[in-house]
Amino acid sequence: MSKKIVAVTACIAGIAHTYMAAENLKKYAKKAGYEIKVETQGAMGIENQLKQKDIDEADIVIFAVDTTVSKAERFENKNVFKVGTSEVVKNGKAAIDGAIAAAQQ
Amino acid sequence: MSETQDFINEKNIIIGLDATDKEDAIFKMSQVLEKNGDICDAKKFYQDVLYRESLTTTGIGNNIAIPHGKSDTVMQPSLIFAKSKRPLQWNSLDGQPVEIIFLMAVGTADSGKEHLRMLAHLSGNLMNDDFVKQIKDANKTQDILDVFDEFKEDEDNE
Repeated sequence: MSKKIVAVTACIAGIAHTYMAAENLKKYAKKAGYEIKVETQGAMGIENQLKQKDIDEADIVIFAVDTTVSKAERFENKNVFKVGTSEVVKNGKAAIDGAIAAAQQ
Repeated sequence: MSETQDFINEKNIIIGLDATDKEDAIFKMSQVLEKNGDICDAKKFYQDVLYRESLTTTGIGNNIAIPHGKSDTVMQPSLIFAKSKRPLQWNSLDGQPVEIIFLMAVGTADSGKEHLRMLAHLSGNLMNDDFVKQIKDANKTQDILDVFDEFKEDEDNE
């Protein structure tokens, strides 16, 4: 069964890692056949903001962040899998696999 | 697209950068940014980039590094690209030395959103195997520009 993932990415400077992590999550989620939506919180502010409906329907939330998530109250009561942006850049597959494993707990 | 040409052109591409180590590479690239009028103080900018390096490595693997920093010496968000003559030690995520460097400069004030978007888009491209392979294979300034042009932003908001 296809899983639904929503993710937020955010790094310290908000210039590079936020966007690399977002692309890598999308790349490996798609490879595995999962649905994914990614919100970036970077130097340009919040972009591709997640809809509450998508958050509510998600099997797992990934926070790929090195800093605090803005508007984190949207994810209350959700199962959140947290990783650093560098880990996602280094190994996107491991991040997706880890999130899916966490979703099944 | 003139905005892209303004952002990345032959003036901010260095093929065969002659640097002894990571710090030397960042400093020499900073000097070019200053010469191009993108930043006003290469030494200060260099210090700001090294501060960012001290937090976590910007060696993202695949022999690529993306040093960057927010600095009030930056007049407009900009990018300088270099291929190093020799592999440089960078404490990369995959432990490999670096040969390809994208140095990104962003000001502390919230300005130049167009250019920020291009830096974000470029960062995303670094996760694209085709983009990385073509950048690695390109060894002339024009070839590098062609790769940037091929992968410029167009259908990102599908």
